[in-house]
Amino acid sequence: MNNNLLSLGTRDEFGRRAVVKQHVASVIGDTFSDRGFAKISTPLLEKQSVFEPYKLGNYQMYRLLDQEGDTIVLRPDMTLPIARFLSSTNISLPQKFWYVGDIFRISRRLSGSYNELTQAGIELVGYSSIKAEFECLVLINLLSQKLLDEPVEIELGIADFAEVILSELTDDEALKQAIAQSLYDKQVPLYEELISQFKDRSEFQFLMNWPRLFGDPAKIFDQLANFNLSKPMQNRIDELKKVIAWLKQILPNQVVSIDLSSKAPQQYYTGLTFKGFSKAGSGYLFSGGRYDKLLANFQDVSESAVGMGINIDLLTDLLVNKSQTKQKKLIYFQEEQWCEAEELLKNTPDGILSLSDNLENAKLEAEKLDAQLIDMTEGEYIE
Amino acid sequence: MNENRIKIALTKGRVEKQVIPLLEEAGINCDQIRNKQRRLIFNSETQPYQFILAKGPDVTTFLERGAADIGIVGSDILTEHQNSQYELLGLNIGKCQFVLASTQDFDPEAPKRKIIGTKYPLITKRYFDSLGQDVEIIKIEGSVELAPLTGLADAIVDITETGTTIRENHLKIFDYLDKVSTRLVVNRMALKQHPDAIFDFVDRLKTVIENNKVGQA
Repeated sequence: MNNNLLSLGTRDEFGRRAVVKQHVASVIGDTFSDRGFAKISTPLLEKQSVFEPYKLGNYQMYRLLDQEGDTIVLRPDMTLPIARFLSSTNISLPQKFWYVGDIFRISRRLSGSYNELTQAGIELVGYSSIKAEFECLVLINLLSQKLLDEPVEIELGIADFAEVILSELTDDEALKQAIAQSLYDKQVPLYEELISQFKDRSEFQFLMNWPRLFGDPAKIFDQLANFNLSKPMQNRIDELKKVIAWLKQILPNQVVSIDLSSKAPQQYYTGLTFKGFSKAGSGYLFSGGRYDKLLANFQDVSESAVGMGINIDLLTDLLVNKSQTKQKKLIYFQEEQWCEAEELLKNTPDGILSLSDNLENAKLEAEKLDAQLIDMTEGEYIE
Repeated sequence: MNENRIKIALTKGRVEKQVIPLLEEAGINCDQIRNKQRRLIFNSETQPYQFILAKGPDVTTFLERGAADIGIVGSDILTEHQNSQYELLGLNIGKCQFVLASTQDFDPEAPKRKIIGTKYPLITKRYFDSLGQDVEIIKIEGSVELAPLTGLADAIVDITETGTTIRENHLKIFDYLDKVSTRLVVNRMALKQHPDAIFDFVDRLKTVIENNKVGQA
């Protein structure tokens, strides 16, 4: 068997992609640090029990055994390890954390998906005010401006919106779950079959329209005016309207949409959810929301928390596809000219030192790099 | 127009033949697909669509990876490949059903671990799981009917439209499983990025399907 083959779902990153990815991670990290977030790093390996609340969907976890025979996993998520950290230390709250690192999720074999993904994100723990969500929304706007040429659309949702409506409709838990799942997955033929038993109810028109209740907030709110919404539903819509009004005031150019038929990213979400996407990307670039019960998985006391994950691989894909490469300048010099070459390097934007041992090889190196050669060995520099 | 085209992956073969008349009734020009020769990808000259012809399982892969915005494919393949994209419309064509079939002497109650031949291991496993039975599944790529006839398997799980092929091979149907039909599936992100264009396409087809149902009634 060849010993130089990658395992399925992994890749080496080098050259332009590696440079762009590092740039994306640096911009994100610097932005968080500048706003007073504290860096946190957690291990790649965690006990499997840490991820009990985590729903993997179609993915699986990489599992292995530690010396005690306990199952440990390569982390598939970054939020739960931070919750584990907070519950096991005496860190005083509130705290604002940021992180960047790799997560591991085994996707369907030979599907073209990668199993090792890089994610950055923030966790604002101990903040019950809506200001924590606003901080995340501002950061989506700020980071998308810093990193992308195109606008990112922010999509807002409410984690328990479906639960509220379906609880008013029926006490049958299995039916509620089946309707919710078919709604989230927009399996419309199945969804319409399941709700057909409620055609005599006043909510039926709303139910029929529900899978399409996403997009421009003004249009969706106009549609909602045609339905008889219960008090709990109306309360949630009013909260959403407040957030949209705030966004219009603080970030007037930000494109905002809502989705009243989407599933919260994880079952532990409790309040406002938000995602960010661009017209060109193949997935969500930003995803987060409020999860006030997260720490309850590890301790008796709950804590207010808001978090957001950022898909660094997807941001990198967008930038690699778009950005233009600047031509490098390759500086060729003799060993005794090292100090002089260092000085020239400092004053040459996009300059790199050639470590070739003769001019001929330096010329070949420049050709390979598509770089302009600066030859320091000929007295006056020839560019 | 290229960047704004909606990419539609259509399952080639029987699904393609059944869907083209529906698309044409919906006002979508399919002349290029009808005159395709050996080509597999077509940009409409008059409408903002690109059609891709692919095998059913590949349609799900194109959708998953965002290489297609819309896919038209059988629900058997969507289930087997654990589709996670939006299934917006049933097209009321390609109707058939999964069956458990075997030779006349097959005993479904026989006290043994059965060997089942199928193109659909996941659906087969789910079916026998629901019966509380553990079976050995052999993946077969085509002519599944051969499996019990040659002694390769005790029985098969396969789809049938009328049961003719099963009967002609002297096999008997022992149980009926899930029904199958052709579905229109949409990539999750594409629906958020191009909702108007995608819903326009879906609604045109939906109107045709509903009118056809009224005509059939």
